[in-house]
Amino acid sequence: MNMVGASAVERHDTDILILGTGGAGMFAALHAQQSTPPGTRITIAVKGLIGKCGCTRMVQGGYNVALGGGDTVERHFMDTINGGKWLPNQDMAWKLCEQAVVRIRELENEVGCFFDRNPDGTLHQKAFAGQTADRTVHKGDLTGIEIINRLMEQVLSRPVEKLQEHRAIGLIPTVDGSALAGVLFIDMRTGKFRFVRAKAVMMGTGGGPTMYKYHTPSGDKTMDGLAMALRVGLPLRDMEMVQFHPTGLLAGDHTKMTGTVLEEGLRGAGGRLLNGAEQRFMFDYDDLGERATRDVVSRGIYAEMRKNNSSRNGGVYISMGHLGPDNVRQKFKGMVKRCEDSGFDLAAGLVEVVPTAHYFMGGVVVDADTRTELEGLYVAGEDAGGAHGSNRLGGNGVANSTVYGGVAGDVMGTDIRTVNALRDPDETVLAAEVERAQAPFSKRPGNVQRLRHELQETMWDDVGVLRTAAGMKRGVDRIADLKSELHETGVASDNLAFNLTWHDWLNMASLCDVSDVIARAGLARKNSRGAHYREDFPDSGTMESSYFTVARQQDGKVDVAREPVQFTIVRPGETILPDGEPETLVEAAQ
Amino acid sequence: MSSDLAELEVSVWRGDAVSGRYEDFRVPAHDNQTILDVVSWIQQHLDPTLSYRYACRVGMCGSCAMMVNGVPRWTCRTHVKVALQDNRISIGPLRNLPVIKDLATDMDPFFDKWVAAEGRHHPSRTRDEPIEQIDPEDAARLEANKGIECINCSVCYAACDTVAGNADYLGPAALQRAWTLYNDAKDDGRQAILDAVSGTGGCHNCHSQGSCSHYCPNDLNPMAAIAGLKRATARSFFKRSK
Repeated sequence: MNMVGASAVERHDTDILILGTGGAGMFAALHAQQSTPPGTRITIAVKGLIGKCGCTRMVQGGYNVALGGGDTVERHFMDTINGGKWLPNQDMAWKLCEQAVVRIRELENEVGCFFDRNPDGTLHQKAFAGQTADRTVHKGDLTGIEIINRLMEQVLSRPVEKLQEHRAIGLIPTVDGSALAGVLFIDMRTGKFRFVRAKAVMMGTGGGPTMYKYHTPSGDKTMDGLAMALRVGLPLRDMEMVQFHPTGLLAGDHTKMTGTVLEEGLRGAGGRLLNGAEQRFMFDYDDLGERATRDVVSRGIYAEMRKNNSSRNGGVYISMGHLGPDNVRQKFKGMVKRCEDSGFDLAAGLVEVVPTAHYFMGGVVVDADTRTELEGLYVAGEDAGGAHGSNRLGGNGVANSTVYGGVAGDVMGTDIRTVNALRDPDETVLAAEVERAQAPFSKRPGNVQRLRHELQETMWDDVGVLRTAAGMKRGVDRIADLKSELHETGVASDNLAFNLTWHDWLNMASLCDVSDVIARAGLARKNSRGAHYREDFPDSGTMESSYFTVARQQDGKVDVAREPVQFTIVRPGETILPDGEPETLVEAAQ
Repeated sequence: MSSDLAELEVSVWRGDAVSGRYEDFRVPAHDNQTILDVVSWIQQHLDPTLSYRYACRVGMCGSCAMMVNGVPRWTCRTHVKVALQDNRISIGPLRNLPVIKDLATDMDPFFDKWVAAEGRHHPSRTRDEPIEQIDPEDAARLEANKGIECINCSVCYAACDTVAGNADYLGPAALQRAWTLYNDAKDDGRQAILDAVSGTGGCHNCHSQGSCSHYCPNDLNPMAAIAGLKRATARSFFKRSK
């Protein structure tokens, strides 16, 4: 056992500290630099490598932004509110739509992205499900790679301090708890602790519901940000809202390929879903069949699986061959090649798929300037709740992270002008976090991965696509048991440098904490709204009486309250579009 | 299924920046199994101290490349059956980069060279101006498009013998990025790019052996991009000499 105390923590200071290098973190860094005088110290810290971990890079579809041609910010806003089933924070949704227009010009003109063009040289835009205009700017179906590569180059070539493979493990407040003093990290390459003080900190670690058996996010994402926010006592909203993508690849429990997304466009182009008997079934659940929205198709597949009408590995099949294998190969080149590398024939054969946890709508309560209840802490991207309400539209995710990351950079630049000195941390909290991280060193080494699998099974079965009170209560109990088991499971501490097994343990601790909140928030919402579906409360409730859940941990106990949605811009049943505007501008809307 | 009972013989490089050696492990074989799955299985079941790096799992992030039977590959997208030789696989850290520990390398030198090659956009407009209309079929644009899907995985850099022999050489990925920007109508840094790639570590070091293009998992052609830079720097040189 090699336990160290708080005295062994290396201390470091900066002015602005940013956690995460996705769309939010990178834009925060660029804007912080633009909004502060030269000499201001800006530090960006990330659990993996800059721009390489996290999910912005994995964006396939694109970037929603109203750029004229009949489309307006008002229309984008109404689609976002309708898509979120009237739960979004309207001020946040408005700023998202309004600022996306500026951000896309920034991405093209200053950052250097090149998005697909129409023959006349203007930006090409397409319509995703739930949109009433051709609005999604994209770079083929690899939009995230273009956005993150260009942002990464800009950040790497600027005098921003980089802390790579630095995992944040604790938000450390001041002694009186009124403000954030800094963030405690593990330098993963050495295994040593590092505490960084900053006048302002932006957290953009990117949510990511990887506590489900099937999930799409990047392997590094384990809800560390929300777990830290929970421990420091911050309110978290919409925590029951987990978006499932209907078609994750299913290749067995032993491979990391399982859960990864097979793109939405496959169904849009006419792809068929077949059950174990190789029969179509989606029309049993919805008149739109396979072309219904993500949540509806996910529930249809899940229901079919529960009837044991499932494929070899317990999912269903996607079949594209009837569209002509050569056509499929040409139209979905990347997907066909990925399946082929993994040993599957998407163009002509059957590929097993399963609904897969994709995006987390819940997050820290923030205002439209990314400020939180805790002075000095700002949150943007998937870690922040509110912009999407109960459901995120495809194409609004990267718009949200880039818009609000930039906002955070600007606001922090302004706010630190009145912060005269770095704040001193509560050394008791700091020491407790150091101790918490080393807890497994005093126990007999065990199999953390088995516990992770059990958590993933529990969340999938009891807090998943279709939910009931009985199931979620069972989930809460099971999560508590797993948490206890984790605390009895040790990690050998003889070499802590790049020790992934230690990080697996810490990952599991974060996932348990946040899973518990998801289940409790799910119990608190006694209706079915957006991504949250309760078999015992299938009704959506009236839109006028919409509430959102707010979870908070105090003295180790999580309480979930409900707060009424404030309709600050538009009320249910109304619209801000001018009279006589058509319902949709999309031809042959789905 | 009988294939699920079989075992793979896996040899994995263990060590740090200073020294190391290969260690042997036996890993259960499965029908659907990538090299990354094999590495993870060893860490989770046989040796909890094994270090490696991955993120996206689907060939988008470029974090998990390693030497697999001596060849640089994305481990997340390499099926075991493609790499297997006599039921054996050797897995080592990516070539031409410093090792942090075991299979995880320090990619900073690769990215430092990306920046040194002026591999970033040089803006000609601001966010307050409209987005430039660009003909998608324009010849320069088509040339720029050829390299744009690079995910900076460093496979080409690991494959390159010139990098191995000359630590200053910028390498294929950085030079390909420079060529992409050189052809981008929106980029205002053409001369800076040419200056950056014509120095001692620049494009003229390339011997056109073509390993970069051969091993690129995205089927890109950095060698052709470097050839483009060689022509452009030569033209620029003669123009300046006049």
